[in-house]
Amino acid sequence: MSQSVLWEVVKGNNAFLVKRNGLTLSTDPFNNTGVQTYSSTGFITQNAIGVVPTQSKVNQINNVNLVARKSTKFQQVDRKTKNTQSVYASTLSVKHGIHTASRVIRKRFGTRRLGLQKAALRKLVKLNRANAVRRRNEIAATKAQKK
Amino acid sequence: MTSVPLVSVFSADDSSKVTAKHIPLPAVFQTPIRPDIVSFVHTNIAKNRRQAHAVNPQAGMQHSAESWGTGRAVARIPRVSGSGTHRSGQAAFGNQCRKGRMSLPIKVWRRWHRRVNIKQKRHAAATAVAATGIVPLVLARGHRISQVPQIPLVVEDKIESYEKTTDALNFLKRFGAFEDVQKVVSTKVVRAGISKQRGKKYRVRKGPLVVYFNENAKLLKAFRNVPGVEVVNVTRLNLLQLAPGGQLGRFVIWTQSAFAHLDKLFGTYRYSSIIKDGYQLLRPLITNPDLARIINSNQVQEKVQPAKTTKVLHEVQKKNPLKNTKAMDRLNPYAKKQRVAAAAAIKANTKGTKKIKKNKALKKASRAAYNKVAASLNDATKAAVQEEQDIKVKYFSVQKGAAQTE
Repeated sequence: MSQSVLWEVVKGNNAFLVKRNGLTLSTDPFNNTGVQTYSSTGFITQNAIGVVPTQSKVNQINNVNLVARKSTKFQQVDRKTKNTQSVYASTLSVKHGIHTASRVIRKRFGTRRLGLQKAALRKLVKLNRANAVRRRNEIAATKAQKK
Repeated sequence: MTSVPLVSVFSADDSSKVTAKHIPLPAVFQTPIRPDIVSFVHTNIAKNRRQAHAVNPQAGMQHSAESWGTGRAVARIPRVSGSGTHRSGQAAFGNQCRKGRMSLPIKVWRRWHRRVNIKQKRHAAATAVAATGIVPLVLARGHRISQVPQIPLVVEDKIESYEKTTDALNFLKRFGAFEDVQKVVSTKVVRAGISKQRGKKYRVRKGPLVVYFNENAKLLKAFRNVPGVEVVNVTRLNLLQLAPGGQLGRFVIWTQSAFAHLDKLFGTYRYSSIIKDGYQLLRPLITNPDLARIINSNQVQEKVQPAKTTKVLHEVQKKNPLKNTKAMDRLNPYAKKQRVAAAAAIKANTKGTKKIKKNKALKKASRAAYNKVAASLNDATKAAVQEEQDIKVKYFSVQKGAAQTE
């Protein structure tokens, strides 16, 4: 379905829309800016990439996942990891490979959608840095506990 | 349209097994999405379940109140007749009065229901069905479909014979629809307002809609008690269920026979509907709705004039060139060089002129002299102190350590 048509249906009201303090924001996982606009709303496109933080376990470090919007009809099973992908998105964990993740983003958006590319990369870097800080703090905390 | 979109039918027992690989999508799913029609039809049809209510026609009017007229230093509103109670002489009847009747009291013969043209209702239903096959719309409506194997989800007819709720629940779990049910359960809230005392205690979200075909199907009872799940026969599809709240994109689970029946029900673009007499599916106003593609196409770009650049005549805010170096450079490009030269000249002056060197030498000499005097003074004071101590120790037999303190 065309992005323009879907936008007309979805812009007034959708599950990700948050209106607060005069701002129109979005909790869309494929939206890296957080503001609901036509170009940044990823779930209505065929080829968006969302950078999403995940909580793997209760006391573990938050990982960052890339969620790539795709438009195939059938659910695919990743042969290697045996994870089933969803109908509308495939995920890539960037636990150790931030360079791979940034290459994926760059390749997907290329030179045509620089704004979206920058937004995704910016979010990736920020989340990764936050992860590193958190990891550092946790290591320091465990060390202090041992002492 | 050269290629027809295809859809798989899944086995009821195993979500990874497909019983029918490629079934063509019924033409309803290609109907243009018309939120305007759906919104209009929904607002009207939603009024049709209302029950008549009214205010007691005698409310506030059960007095023999009469106006006292003018000349008695009171407002001319009708006043309650009689005496012996607080109520006598109080204002009555008016909507503005305490205990008066409301203005325009509600009558039972208010027009509660709305009729909508059949064609509009059918177009709305068709659009709503089409929207259930579009993933972003189902996401936008808030359904949790990340584990669902396919949208639209078509399952073999076996589920129509489910009798037990456990079977129904396990089926939903197998097909990733249980996440949606869990959402319904976890967001059940006590309703705000008086309605909670009038039989509508909880506000419950909508979960999946299961559509079946065979009239003898038992699955209604199996799915009945699962929160959020609604079951409906495909011949009785309801816009209020397909687009709750006027919002397109309900998550629908179709049985195979129900899915196959859709072509007969709504017709296709080749033949009009068999069941809805004379109904033809809505045709799109634009065949290619992808605006971005149209604008970027060669045919359009060839004809289009080059983009206008906005010519900036001057800055919005004036900058003072005497204070703002960039503004100065814009006006006088040589100013930068002048500044650089001036700075260099000052630097040269401060480093190597004779006068400055002389000053430096003088400073050095005077400091040396001062240090000398200070040093000799220091020695003198030390010697004096030492002499005093010696005298004390020698003549006044003060202890050597104690002499220090005095």
